[in-house]
Amino acid sequence: MNKNTRIIAESLKKRNRSESTFRLMGLLGIISAISFLVIILTSIINEGKKAFVSTQIKLDIFFDSKILDPSNSGKITEIENANYQTLIKASLLNFFPDVKTRNDQRDLLSMISSSEQENLMRTLTNDISLMNTKKEFWLKSSSKYDVINKNPEMIDFAEEDRLISNQQLFWFNELKKDNRVNFGFNKIFFTAADSTEPEQAGIWGSVMGSFFTLFVTLLLSFPIAVAAGVFLEELAPKNRFTHFIEVNINNLAAVPSIIFGLLGLAIFLNVMHLPRSAPLVGGMVLALMTLPTIIIATRASLKAVPPSIREAAIGMGATKMQTVTHHVLPLSMPGISTGTIIGMSQALGESAPLLMIGMVAFIVDVPESFLDSSTVLPVQIYLWKSTAARGFVELTAAGVLVLLTFLILMNSFAIIIRKKFEKKW
Amino acid sequence: MVSKKKIKVLTKRVSVFYGDKQAIKDVNLEIYENQVTSLIGPSGCGKSTFLRCINRMNDTIDICRITGKVLIDNDDIYKATLDPVLLRARVGMVFQKPNPFPKSIFDNVAYGPQIHGLTNSKEELEDLVVNSLQKAGLFNEVKDRMNESGTSLSGGQQQRLCIARAIAVSPEIILMDEPCSALDPIATAVIEELIDELMQNYTIVIVTHSMQQAARVSQQTAYFHMGNLIEFGETSKIFQNPKNKQTQDYITGRIG
Amino acid sequence: MGLGSFCVLIILIATFITWYGNNKALRVNHALGKDLKLPSLPKYYSFYAILWLIIPSIILILTWYIAKPLILDVLVLSFISEDTIKNFSGDPSMLVDRVKSINIERPFPGTDTNLIEAAVYLKKTLERVQTFTFLSILSLGCFLSFIAIKKINPAFRARQIVEKYNVAILLVCSVVAIVTTIGIVFSLIFEALRFFDKIPLFDFLFGLSWSPQMAIREDQVASQGSFGAIPIFAGTLLITIIAMTVAIPVGLTSAIFLSQYSSPMTRSIIKPLLEILAGVPTVVYGFFAAITVGPFLKGLGDVFSLNIASESALAAGSVMGIMIIPFISSLSDDVISAVPQSLKDGSYAMGATKSETVKKVILPAALPGIVGAILLAISRAVGETMIVVMAAGIAANLTANPLEAVTTVTVQIVTLLIGDQEFDSAKTLAAFALGITLFVVTLMLNLFALRIVHKYREKYE
Ligand SMILES: Nc1ncnc2c1ncn2[C@@H]1O[C@H](COP(=O)(O)OP(=O)(O)OP(=O)(O)O)[C@@H](O)[C@H]1O
Ligand SMILES: [Mg+2]
Repeated sequence: MNKNTRIIAESLKKRNRSESTFRLMGLLGIISAISFLVIILTSIINEGKKAFVSTQIKLDIFFDSKILDPSNSGKITEIENANYQTLIKASLLNFFPDVKTRNDQRDLLSMISSSEQENLMRTLTNDISLMNTKKEFWLKSSSKYDVINKNPEMIDFAEEDRLISNQQLFWFNELKKDNRVNFGFNKIFFTAADSTEPEQAGIWGSVMGSFFTLFVTLLLSFPIAVAAGVFLEELAPKNRFTHFIEVNINNLAAVPSIIFGLLGLAIFLNVMHLPRSAPLVGGMVLALMTLPTIIIATRASLKAVPPSIREAAIGMGATKMQTVTHHVLPLSMPGISTGTIIGMSQALGESAPLLMIGMVAFIVDVPESFLDSSTVLPVQIYLWKSTAARGFVELTAAGVLVLLTFLILMNSFAIIIRKKFEKKW
Repeated sequence: MVSKKKIKVLTKRVSVFYGDKQAIKDVNLEIYENQVTSLIGPSGCGKSTFLRCINRMNDTIDICRITGKVLIDNDDIYKATLDPVLLRARVGMVFQKPNPFPKSIFDNVAYGPQIHGLTNSKEELEDLVVNSLQKAGLFNEVKDRMNESGTSLSGGQQQRLCIARAIAVSPEIILMDEPCSALDPIATAVIEELIDELMQNYTIVIVTHSMQQAARVSQQTAYFHMGNLIEFGETSKIFQNPKNKQTQDYITGRIG
Repeated sequence: MGLGSFCVLIILIATFITWYGNNKALRVNHALGKDLKLPSLPKYYSFYAILWLIIPSIILILTWYIAKPLILDVLVLSFISEDTIKNFSGDPSMLVDRVKSINIERPFPGTDTNLIEAAVYLKKTLERVQTFTFLSILSLGCFLSFIAIKKINPAFRARQIVEKYNVAILLVCSVVAIVTTIGIVFSLIFEALRFFDKIPLFDFLFGLSWSPQMAIREDQVASQGSFGAIPIFAGTLLITIIAMTVAIPVGLTSAIFLSQYSSPMTRSIIKPLLEILAGVPTVVYGFFAAITVGPFLKGLGDVFSLNIASESALAAGSVMGIMIIPFISSLSDDVISAVPQSLKDGSYAMGATKSETVKKVILPAALPGIVGAILLAISRAVGETMIVVMAAGIAANLTANPLEAVTTVTVQIVTLLIGDQEFDSAKTLAAFALGITLFVVTLMLNLFALRIVHKYREKYE
């Protein structure tokens, strides 16, 4: 007896060491998982926050009627179609009088985003009295300068890696010295759809696309899933057939999402000839994917309603159907809604199946209906990531931030519902 | 006779709290070496809780706190320098529901010796396993199926396997928490016989709900009520003329 | 008339019928006097009538949409002159496709005027036919529900019938799951079979060379392209292995720590964090892999003068591993927590330390469940698309070197199907062949894993 005690006492140190090693391993596991999360989020936030502002350059624009309205007709249509680029060019040349050659002038002009021409036109047509006056404007720079301005380390890059030439950099620095460069809120990002120019591209088109798509998804999946959940949990006899349905549902929940895309392509597009790239079709595909999630959540919250409530209702002479619709279903609604929101947030982040049904198109207009060609948030992120221009990197990260914001909002909403209506029977 | 009994476990003013709730109140009790002490009392009175103080199993429950002293061989088992691992090797435990590990019969019994590194060779381990199974009276029934899962045995066999598992590390004390409550009368009888034999080498503390069992197997009996130790003494005395009215009511079946 | 206006109309009609049916039932009730009453509440009668409006309409509308393409074909072929059909080099059905794709307002310059006319004709006729069909459907529905309202009398128990129909509707909704599965299987099998008509199954499954892009240029000598999928399968396997090498140790150790070592307080903080990791969309992981991890590894390789591709399997695989961590940890956490306390007590009472208990009792007991979780995770990794599309290679590359770029099944499906596709080419169909392979593999993994986990749950319930 004493012998055992001695042996154990001697080995204790070693065992305790291996105990703490093991504990440490667990801790390391947790720490690495959490730090992955932190790394991913910080790297994206660092990159993405830059896209919310854009570089602006202050220029004095002279609305020269000789350029804008050479025939002096005063007609709005004439003024609308005038060449506003010349105004910007004149203003720039005013600041850099030594720029003579056509090539240099073009390089200089490329500093300002081409979208500003239209903005100048709008300002003028809204207030025609500006004609032949000089006014200060903060004009959006083109993306290349914006990138350099946001990533100062790039200034030291070799000329060929820097996006802009030494000469252009010199001009830009001159403007900076004159306090003519600053950052402004990038409104376009929140109002426009895609564009070939990074500084003119926005997320709004895809937000609307996502909205239409998810609307269809919700409209289709919620009623069907709740109906299926109610049937399986409350009404269905336990037989082979219902068991088969259950196996199917559990399995569908684990089918790779891209397979649903293939289904959509083969059936919705090629057999049913629904339009490509339409939120309607995207919503249908995502609805099929979301069904299992909501069905499973529905069943779980139905199961949580105690049998006593059903017995009470049945005892009052209600039919099974009435018991379910009047008593059980309302009580389990919070759980079902939570499951639905979670399903929707999964659908919002889903992109692979949408690639298959053509929602990857380059779309410059904000979609306005369920049949307009459109794309969705995550796919827009994918599209921007695949674009070569450097300016899209920040846009992509900003797109990710917008997507994550929506997801956080949806999930917090789900948590609030769960907390608020949580019931312990 | 009485004066020769050696005290193996001594508790001094032991109180146990689950959170704010006190489950054991100032219990002082002596447990004598090589004897069977039974703890009886109505459900929820804290028998299991008290039993688990002796091998510090209460440490595994987060909200559980204990005050007072528990001495084994005059040594405080709650002192900071004592590792519960060492204590639990000296104080074995058998639970209410048989809980063999989902491993082979052999591995179940070999579990203790292996984790503690008690044997140096395979042969030694095999001897130890066989020996323990023999002591638990199970060897003849399982000698041809040592590699089958421990969970494939009958309930009574599983409980004896758990006893074999406990004695494989040669503990000094064995705690049994209602070891027969999940068994039929025949299996119970087998275990009771076994307890009688084990008494020669081990100090045994047993919780039971069966008065007959307490009377049959134990020399000392302690009666608990709502966390208090009401009465403690030789089993025959407790059962034949209890001093306390509550004890009397309980053993005659009026409460509990 | 489009589907939208149809829906609006049918809702209006349904509202009217509800009102009318209710009224009628009330009137009947009133006429019957005090003692006698209809056996069901008025709303059930109107509900019954609405069923007669809605159900036939839905069935007929679906039939219309299924029949529409066939009608299209007939319309177009009857309009286009024989000569045009004869002069057309390909199959007549391709001619129909071409007509359908013509944008009437802005036809592609140089399109055959014959075809443009056909397109205009098609659009007009189709609109007319559709309007006619929709109106007929609506009238039929109105007629049927009107009959249903006529039937209101004390002998008619509307509630029973309505409830029976309701149960039937619920049943149909649950059958959607089966229909989806069947839809998946059929759409995949159908196209895959057409692919295997062109490329033998054996060549696909065991061929060592994959270069489908050659099929684009039909005039080329090797216009077939080659469709040996082994390099793709190998690439998928490589990335999955890398992902699992990251996810299994981290996920399992986290699960063990969370379930055995952490205080309830830490647990309540860590678990939601892991849930966030699980809720991050895969595009985000893909972006992270492509923008951060890929270049980082490449730079790291340069330091050690190793040549690491910027789209290396390592980058995609490890990020995929990160994505899978919460999946494994939460499933294993459930499984580990399901191990009964009595087993743990038994081990602690023997004097085992926590880690000994975990290693020798809890993990062996939980093993089936953990294996199930890992299989589910593998199935997840194999089917994961966005991370690899954004961060792995496109060219097939038969290698076991994690520092090189490899491609995967999902990447190939996406690259084959994105952009313009001719539906009959081997290239497009190959995506479906890959798709069915992916489906079968993940299906087997899932069924097997779900079964193991299910059995495990039962054991400790
Ligand atoms: N883990 C725990 N957490 C909180 N309270 C507990 C816990 N275990 C026991 N208790 C409480 O402590 C008291 C004593 O419990 P204990 O299990 O020791 O009773 P017992 O005498 O063994 O009863 P039984 O004969 O039913 O086994 C009871 O009131 C019980 O509710
Ligand atoms: Mg007890």
